[in-house]
Amino acid sequence: MAAVQETIDQVRQIDVDQYKYGFETAIEVEKAPKGLSEEIVRFISAKKQEPEWMLEWRLDAYRRWLTMEEPTWARVDYPKIDFNDIYYYAAPKSASGPKSLDEVDPELLKTYEKLGIPLKEQEILAGVEKPRVAVDAVFDSVSVVTTFKKELAKAGVIFMSISEAVREHPELVKKYLGSVVPVTDNYYATLNSAVFTDGSFVFVPKGVRCPMELSTYFRINEKNTGQFERTLIIAEEGAYVSYLEGCTAPQRDENQLHAAVVELVALDDAEIKYSTVQNWFPGDKQGKGGIYNFVTKRGDCRGDRSKISWTQVETGSAITWKYPSCILRGDDSRGEFYSIAVSNGHQQVDSGTKMIHLGKNTSSRIISKGIAAGVSQNTYRGQVSAHRKATNARNFTQCDSLLIGDRCGAHTVPYIEAKNSSAQFEHEATTSKISEDQLFYCLQRGIPEEAAIALIVNGFVKEVIQELPMEFAVEAQKLIGISLEGSVG
Amino acid sequence: MNMQTTSRLTAAESALIDAYTGQLGELPGNGAVISARDRLVDDLKTNGLPTRRVEAWHYTDLKTLLRSVPMDAGTGSADAIEPLVAGAHVIGTRQGQIVGKPSVEGVVVGAFADMLREGTAAPGLSVIDRDDTIGKINGSFVRDGLVLEFPAGVTVEQPIEIQALHGAGQAHTRFPVSFGAGSKAVVIERHAQTGEGSAFVSSVSDISLEDGADVTWIVLQQQGADDTHLGQVRIRVGENAKLKLFVVNAGGKLVRQELRVDVAGEGAELSLRGVNLLGGDTHTDVTLVLGHNVPNTNSTEIFRNVVFDRARGVFQGMIKVALDAQKTDARMACNTLLMSDDAEFAAKPELEIFADDVQCGHGATVADIDDNHLYYLMARGIPRNHARAMLVNAFVAEIVEELEDEALVEALEGVISTWLAKHA
Amino acid sequence: MLEIKNLHARIAEDGTEIIRGLNLTVKAGEVAAIMGPNGSGKSTLSYILSGREDYEVTEGDILYNGESILELDPAERAARGIFLAFQYPVEIPGVATMQFLKVAMNEQRKARGEAELTTPDFMRRVKEAAAELKINPDMLKRPLNVGFSGGEKKRAEILQMALLEPKLCVLDETDSGLDIDALKIVADGVNALKSPDRATIVITHYQRLLDYIVPDTVHVLYKGQIIRTGDKDLALELEANGYADIIGQAA
Repeated sequence: MAAVQETIDQVRQIDVDQYKYGFETAIEVEKAPKGLSEEIVRFISAKKQEPEWMLEWRLDAYRRWLTMEEPTWARVDYPKIDFNDIYYYAAPKSASGPKSLDEVDPELLKTYEKLGIPLKEQEILAGVEKPRVAVDAVFDSVSVVTTFKKELAKAGVIFMSISEAVREHPELVKKYLGSVVPVTDNYYATLNSAVFTDGSFVFVPKGVRCPMELSTYFRINEKNTGQFERTLIIAEEGAYVSYLEGCTAPQRDENQLHAAVVELVALDDAEIKYSTVQNWFPGDKQGKGGIYNFVTKRGDCRGDRSKISWTQVETGSAITWKYPSCILRGDDSRGEFYSIAVSNGHQQVDSGTKMIHLGKNTSSRIISKGIAAGVSQNTYRGQVSAHRKATNARNFTQCDSLLIGDRCGAHTVPYIEAKNSSAQFEHEATTSKISEDQLFYCLQRGIPEEAAIALIVNGFVKEVIQELPMEFAVEAQKLIGISLEGSVG
Repeated sequence: MNMQTTSRLTAAESALIDAYTGQLGELPGNGAVISARDRLVDDLKTNGLPTRRVEAWHYTDLKTLLRSVPMDAGTGSADAIEPLVAGAHVIGTRQGQIVGKPSVEGVVVGAFADMLREGTAAPGLSVIDRDDTIGKINGSFVRDGLVLEFPAGVTVEQPIEIQALHGAGQAHTRFPVSFGAGSKAVVIERHAQTGEGSAFVSSVSDISLEDGADVTWIVLQQQGADDTHLGQVRIRVGENAKLKLFVVNAGGKLVRQELRVDVAGEGAELSLRGVNLLGGDTHTDVTLVLGHNVPNTNSTEIFRNVVFDRARGVFQGMIKVALDAQKTDARMACNTLLMSDDAEFAAKPELEIFADDVQCGHGATVADIDDNHLYYLMARGIPRNHARAMLVNAFVAEIVEELEDEALVEALEGVISTWLAKHA
Repeated sequence: MLEIKNLHARIAEDGTEIIRGLNLTVKAGEVAAIMGPNGSGKSTLSYILSGREDYEVTEGDILYNGESILELDPAERAARGIFLAFQYPVEIPGVATMQFLKVAMNEQRKARGEAELTTPDFMRRVKEAAAELKINPDMLKRPLNVGFSGGEKKRAEILQMALLEPKLCVLDETDSGLDIDALKIVADGVNALKSPDRATIVITHYQRLLDYIVPDTVHVLYKGQIIRTGDKDLALELEANGYADIIGQAA
């Protein structure tokens, strides 16, 4: 079909430069010296006014990291990272720590306004129909503000930057930090443990349903700066929380490193819903620049009947290496993973999940939709395993890939491991291009091709979009559209 | 990715290297062959056997699983066994070597030992890739095998059964087989232990199908309970050729059966099927790498596994679709029944796709017997155990029936039900 | 022959109670129709009679020839002569129909201490019964129920019933999905099996089947209980007025 060829040509010309969040904020910053050493680790810890035990924890991680090797099993290809050519700490001078909104540098507020992130509590309150969302805004290495803290505290919910939590709730941090992702879990997680700078801390006590959506907005602004975010969410018995993270970065020629660790703990009957809209700068059309997104995200369904659900919309980053996972430890616990990964230009995505069934009657569900365009490589990598004692473990996996254009690649690498005869695993995967029959049907009904493709792609990802909190679903759909611009109108 | 510097060799690794030194004087081959062998052994010496860190061996950590290797090529003489299908042309090897002068009417039959002596085998004693451990071991130790050449247009009516039989000790065979344009045949590659004691066996079948060839190739592995079997089938499929490849694993202690298929001609049609019957304290790995490398080809892959006792099974199946291989249609399924609480199965069905106009998919299931089926049979008065046995049989028989050739289907169903009667 | 006393049963997995104090007696030689709106528990009752493990009996009892069958598994019940013709017979790929029939017949005979059938005897019986039901012998060469049309599946069920010669036949919505010709064939098959020592329970939503298989008693099942019992005229009344009246009266 000639029309399709035209679309492909257009995709080829896609200008990734239309990345809409590529601006830079001119603001005075304080940086640690470039490079990584024990001194830098001490510097970060001191900056955060951390207690001694936290520093020791970091130093231990750093020493272990020195003995580790960078993993190479993912299907991604990039030049060797010089870990001494990175700034591990950068903070706006004006922001020595999170404070009230009136104290936040107006330049920063403007940045978030430009990004469409509501930071003013009143404004949000004024919007009658909009559901309220509490936001923790992390700018380079520090949290600049956290909204609705007081109101959340009334419900017993703790929502603050992790730096604050280390100081204010050391008993909780000590108890849970590193309990899901051990310090030596993997190369990047260990690095993160040594140098993490900020991130969010959420604690929802027993029986509390968090009264609003929580979200963290990550922004990397400084040049040559790595962002090492650390997030810890704990839902006690019967608690519920829905959390969303968003991320952007300016357009730069060099690659920047983002190595985050996210840990979730759900106790008996608790539920955590974690959604991500990841839109780091993907690099330009020549494949120059962009974020290296090497992330370890793991949820521990520690309690019986607990539930953790990951939803991700991945459109950004030059390289994505990320497998939000669930350890289904509690009996009758449930893990879910819903993912849309769009790659275009020179992007490389190697993403998926792990569902580790340990408890009895545990169930998991994986829905993954990969869309590859341009000269990108898009890999789903997922593991489902049932251990000996995981009687009646159930998994359903559906993973579909859509190829737009003939110079991209879509790959599926599932690992299915059953060690229990009562386990039932079902895995299905398909790879195809947009169905010409579907396209023709739309065209015949008078829908122009661009719109038809948009329609079909949106249909393709619908199952996952539905899992997002309403207000972000719309945003995510738009984002997918923009990411595929040229083929999707 | 898999650079390993092995400072210390395991017992099995040392045994392999010592065995090579010990057998060197007896291994046939001219200078080129000897230096090819040396290179392969050096590789083994430097890199050792693969561990789970090597992605291609993730579920079969050969370094740990291979505990010992018998030193010598076995000497016991093994008697021929009844062919699977009555009336088949039976040829083969005993303890890795041809006995007598085998022949099949219409087919040119030679000895691989001659190719080794003449040096024409040297280029083939190479690895497909760095993870090709079977290629390395077989290339180092191979002594003989049958060379079959099916002239263009020939049709061999009766199946040909290659019996690779052995007792204890080492046995390494290689079977270069070429099917000329438009030729047609059914070949059964059968590996069995007919003696006692533990054997270490490797076998590589290097097969090509020229344009329009129509071939059914069956691998029937019935090794002994203490045997290590490392099998590899390399196949290149030409234009409009038709291949039915059928693998049955019903024996062995440590088994890796690799299928490396290169779909190289447009219009090729492939049907790959496998039945794995696993029991006892065994480890069986079937690894398929299927490359669709030209446009307009299609393939279906179905593997059915039944795992009893403390057995561990592995299926790795990769479908690769090359950049230009538009209009590829490839479907893979791997279904497993776990019959005991100590049984394990790991499946890794992979798709690696670089062409956009394709239809590819894979499905994998691990489950127990369908309760609805069991209930239906029981509601008709069939007791639980009998009903379960029927359903297990049906689960694998369904695949066998696709072979259509009645005698062949019946024979394979016989192999399966005999095995199940012993293990279930 | 069959006596169900204050039966309570629920779905094992989620505990939903479906049968709530059901009482029913069916005598030898009797044809009993059980009618009821969708969701009243009709199919569940048939599953519980045949011993499906997805359901749990929490109270009451089922006596078959005076003995409780609750502890028996489906195969044991079948061997004692309880036959369920399924509403949706399951397809079992890989199991040949003929092989299945032979195993089922012989296993039941074994359980009753009878000699197994010889192959020629078995073949003769199947051929005769298939001819009666106008079943194409080719159908029997296929795997069990695989690729059978809706009508073929129902006929295959009746064929099994004829071959297994049960004492208590339970027909679950056997009329659904059948055209009028097929319906007549199936009904003839059922009627041919009528005998003084055999009881039949016909579960149906509509009166239509009862024109061909005439019931001695008609029972209305609603919310897991028999709310009304009558003779064949009750079925006609239901056909004319619907379930609403009777449900109203019962409530």
